[in-house]
Amino acid sequence: MFGLPLSTFLLVLGFPLFWILYTIGFLLLTRNWENDGDAS
Amino acid sequence: MNATVIVFLVLYYVVVLGIGMWAMRRGATGDLEGYLLGGREVGPLVTALTLQSTSMSGFMFLGAGSLAYTTGYWSLWFAAGDIGGGVLNLSIIGRRMRKLSQMMGSLTSIEYLEARYPSPVTRLIAASLSVFLLAFYVLAQFIAGGKGMALVTGLDYEWALLIALAIITIYTLLGGYLAVAYTDFFQSLIMLVGVVWILGAALVHVGGFTAANRTLAEIDPTILSIWGTGLGFEGQWGVVAGAVLVFSAGYMGWPHVVTRHMAMKRPSTARLAGAYATVWNLLFVSTPYLVGILAILILPNLDDPELAIFEVAQTLLPPAVTGIVMAAIMAAIMSTADSLLLQTGSIASRDLYERFINPSASEQQMLWVSRAFVLAIGIIGYLVALVEPPAVAFVVIFATSVLGSAFAPAFVCAVWWKKANTPGAIVSMVVGAATSVLWELADLAATTTLAPVTVGLTASTVAIVVVSLATQRRSPVPPHVLAAMEETARLGPIPERLIALSDFALRSEAEEIESMLRDGEAEQ
Repeated sequence: MFGLPLSTFLLVLGFPLFWILYTIGFLLLTRNWENDGDAS
Repeated sequence: MNATVIVFLVLYYVVVLGIGMWAMRRGATGDLEGYLLGGREVGPLVTALTLQSTSMSGFMFLGAGSLAYTTGYWSLWFAAGDIGGGVLNLSIIGRRMRKLSQMMGSLTSIEYLEARYPSPVTRLIAASLSVFLLAFYVLAQFIAGGKGMALVTGLDYEWALLIALAIITIYTLLGGYLAVAYTDFFQSLIMLVGVVWILGAALVHVGGFTAANRTLAEIDPTILSIWGTGLGFEGQWGVVAGAVLVFSAGYMGWPHVVTRHMAMKRPSTARLAGAYATVWNLLFVSTPYLVGILAILILPNLDDPELAIFEVAQTLLPPAVTGIVMAAIMAAIMSTADSLLLQTGSIASRDLYERFINPSASEQQMLWVSRAFVLAIGIIGYLVALVEPPAVAFVVIFATSVLGSAFAPAFVCAVWWKKANTPGAIVSMVVGAATSVLWELADLAATTTLAPVTVGLTASTVAIVVVSLATQRRSPVPPHVLAAMEETARLGPIPERLIALSDFALRSEAEEIESMLRDGEAEQ
């Protein structure tokens, strides 16, 4: 793919994909954070 | 000397200075929290971009390009971790550190460590390590600035270095945190535009990404390998782990970066900031490495690989665009250097001078100490960068490896592990720093195939766990720290009574005295 060996292709595109999924997971798991931290 | 490039560069400095002065007036609250943390009023987008532009230093334009030029696609291992560094940092410690630091009334990341792990030794060790390493780190920015300025202006390196250093130092002396955060925001956008522009021009020049890779394979197929040119790192997973960890997990231990969490408007700001950081990183992080790889085709006989990206820009872009790109490069250098200098000055004045030398120092005196320290670093940095300038990539990877090894477990456990105590944190910082420095100086990475940060992070993590558990009975975590941690874990408003704890450390001392008195009474 793109003239790269498979391992290099995974390095170039696999890690970004992993971090996209991590970020989506983080956003989904923290939907209840919105009211956190304001002084009562 | 190209007049158009100079005009764009000067224009850039004027805009940055204007934003800095506007931010200074906007954040002029008159107190130390306003100066050091922007009054804790920074929103998610600015938080994300100041976090990222601070960590993406001149390294990205000199070190990354050089690594890619000399090792090929192997260098992308650094980008693999770096892309997630922001969201990892914000998701693991962002919300909790913001909340805990407010309850503790901490204004610097080192003061925060002392409040969480109560002992003057915590502060002395953390502050000394930080001042030394951040000053070393800023040296790389001076060298990068000098080299870039020399290339753009055609001046000798000595004069270019002096001009770059003077601009960075004066600019830092002018503003506080808010000025730094807002100029970082602007600079991060310039950096993005600049680097994407160079990549676009480079891809057009080499006939596209696939064609470039095929040509590279004809020159040397190992350039395309994940093990580096000449397969120099083949099977060295410990070194690979170090490359991935240094700008991801290690990043959670950089004092000048984690301060960004403390300055967020609300704890929940970490959520959106994490998403913005990932978007920005996806667009920015891999790009300088790819330009460095393409430079192998565009400029095959470079004398100084650190100038690969500068040279590609000068070769391929028209002068006006080169001016923008040079501004981007200077933006990367300055956005890191100003944060490093501000942080080093703050730590020197607040965590060393006020804490250990002159506890009754006025804010004015501390400001002067901070400024004197920034100037001293500038002068020493100039002399070192002039006489024996080390490679930017080496300095940055060394300093960030030691910072990450020393502090990451202490910062993470501070908010997540109630048993993490003072002896555990102190031993962890010392062991992490010492291990990674020794590993680097003795060049043990070459014989063991383990990178200093891999070993340092492992050692400091093991140290904080083992020592904390072993000393739990003798040095329990103080009840007021445990109460603050429990409140930090809970989602919801912080009770007023906890925010009002203006002197968290005093409360710790009071509890110690009460405990001693109780023990004394029991013995009698």
